[in-house]
Parts: sequence; C-alpha cells; structure tokens
Amino acid sequence: MYYYIFDIKKCKKRSQVENIKNHLAALGISGEFTYPSSAQTIEELVNLGLNKEYTTIVAIGSDEIANRVASVMVGKKEAMGFIPLEESPTSTLIGVKGWKDACEALRYRKINPIRIGRTGSGACFLTELQLSISHPTEVTLEFKDFIIQTQVKGLKISNFNPLIKKIGVDFLDISMISVRPENGSIISKISSVFKTVQDDKLAYSLLRARSLRVFTKNQIPLITSETQIAKTPQLIESTDENLRLITAKNAPVFWAE
Amino acid sequence: MENTVDTIIGINVTLKGNLKNKGSVQINGNVEGEIKSDENVNIGETATIKGPVVAKTIEVSGEVKGLIEATERLEINPTGRVIGDINAKTLIIKQGATFIGKSIMPSDGVVVPATDDNKEIKPQKEEEQEDKAGFFTKK
Repeated sequence: MYYYIFDIKKCKKRSQVENIKNHLAALGISGEFTYPSSAQTIEELVNLGLNKEYTTIVAIGSDEIANRVASVMVGKKEAMGFIPLEESPTSTLIGVKGWKDACEALRYRKINPIRIGRTGSGACFLTELQLSISHPTEVTLEFKDFIIQTQVKGLKISNFNPLIKKIGVDFLDISMISVRPENGSIISKISSVFKTVQDDKLAYSLLRARSLRVFTKNQIPLITSETQIAKTPQLIESTDENLRLITAKNAPVFWAE
Repeated sequence: MENTVDTIIGINVTLKGNLKNKGSVQINGNVEGEIKSDENVNIGETATIKGPVVAKTIEVSGEVKGLIEATERLEINPTGRVIGDINAKTLIIKQGATFIGKSIMPSDGVVVPATDDNKEIKPQKEEEQEDKAGFFTKK
C-alpha cells in the first residue's frame, strides 16, 4: 500500500504529475496521492499516512522533501521510497538515474536499512550537510576525544558521499579544506598564486565520527541540497535508528545491516 | 581524495586531544595529544606533533616531540625530526634526519638491509641503545 507525497512545486510541467501517476498505475503500484500545502506540512502528511497504516511512504520531488520525510520515517517499521524529479545526491544514494528508474525500484521494493544524519534541532539529511560560506572562516569542531581548530574554505559533513569510502554505517565523514597560513609578505602572496595540486592535497582533512559539534564565531547556515536546515553552533550526529529506505538493486552504499 | 587513509589532518589544522583510530592516519597539521592507530601513521613534512604516537608502522617526515612506539616499523625520513624516545621493532633513520632521545628495540626485531639512503639500527637484546649525548644527527 503506497502513500505518495508529491512536492508539486518542483514539477517542471503540470503534465509531469500525470505522467508519473500513469506510470505508477501501469506498474501496479498506484496509491493515495497527497500534496503539501500551507494547511498541511510534509511532516504532517507523513504522520497522516502512517496513521492510515500505509506500509510505504514515498516522497516525490527534490532532496528537500526526501530529507523531511526521512526525518519522520527514521526508526519506523514502514518503508520510505523516493522518486526524484531530477538527478541529485539522493538519487545517487538510492541508485536511480531519474523518476522512471525510481518507479521501477519502488516496484521491486528492495528495502535497505540506513542510518541518516541529524542535527540537534531535529532536521535530517540523507546525503551531506555543508557549511554555507563564501570566504575563509574560523571553525572549531568538537569531537568525543578531541577538538579541531582551523580556518576553512569548505566543510562538509557527509552521511553519504560517493567520493568518500565509508568506514562504518554509523559514521559521518567530515571533510574540509583548510587555508594555508600566509605571512602577508609579497613573496607569500605571489607564491599562493602558483600553488600546486599538492598544496591542495595538504590542505584536505578527513575525519570520521558518530557525532560532533560545529562552532563558528558568527552564526552560519548549514545547508543540504541548497536548503538551509540548521545554523551553527550545532550538534550533528548519525541516528541510532535505521531508516528503511527503498533502493535500486545496485545502490552504491554501505547499509546498516 | 585519499581513499586508503581513514583520517587525514590537513595543514594549518590544530587537533587537541587524543586521536584513536583503527585505520591509517595521515598528519599534515598540528597535534597536541596522543595519536594511536592499529595501522599506519604518516607524519608529513608540514606536521608537528606534541605527544605520543603509537601504531603498527610510523613514517616521520615532520616533527614529533614525544614517545614513539611502532610495533612493526619506524622510519624517520631526511626531513624528519624526532625529540623523544623510540620503541620500535624495526628502525630506519635516513641521512639528514634528526633524532634526540633513546631507542629501545625488542629482541625479535627484523633486520632490513641498510642502503646509502638509510641506516638501520639492528635490534639489541633487552638493552637500551643510546648515543653518548642522547643525540643522534646525521648530515
């Protein structure tokens, strides 16, 4: 029994809604379609679907709706599906290239348990969270046994990043590019122009942790798939519970069990 | 970027506390505290460590001030500078490296043939090896 939550604002054409509905019906996996509005949020619709005892809740739209549905579905026995309207980090996570691929994956209903990332404020992310900065920024990262201090050009906290090999299902991968120290001299400024790939490699850091706290001097947004879900200072952790996520057979990920 | 290393501390990054890892560790920044790994620790040219380093194999190209314990092999490269005691099964100190401290090697240590670029200190039975001034520098 499928319960679909359709983020209609993300559709490029009105006909796309009908095309997806018709395709799902042709595959024999049609169900109830709902649409978030100012009267009913995505989270309220998920709870409504669970109360109606649907066994599969499916988000249709962008990564934003997938993350919001996941934040309610994590720890539940019901399964979550996702039909992306365009290629995105979450579509890579579930191993599909487009909405038709995702419909096929839904039909086969291969469920994989996965841990997801969660902020202290309760927002979740399936793939990765990024510090939204346009210039080098001083950050402090507090882990269980140590703290890290540096000035970063970029900071990502990934639950899933296809470029990083995961070492454990419940570990987040923290990657960052730090700023090389400069003494302000002309020579130093000129040499920074000619910096090599080797210099960039030296500035790269990678850490693994189940949880961490991110501190910055001023409040800075934390974004996932171009959507702000939290601000610093913030606790970020891997969930203790699993999300039962429907994926394609060849999904490239480390599953919880 | 570096898929074979579990943890990388980049240049201009300061870590304070204890870093314990099952996998390999690459340090290019600064660490104040203990580094412990079940695998390899590679201390790059730009790294400075104040604290003990414990791992299976350790390669030092930067600076370490503290005890080093390598259950398998310790290599100090020409740019490496170690100020502290060493406990290693196999020890290689390359020409140009600095070592100030004493070294202890277990009796079942492995002998690696010395070349022009490196000099291996052969294991001694249950006795400490130390040069007279507690200072070892080759240029």
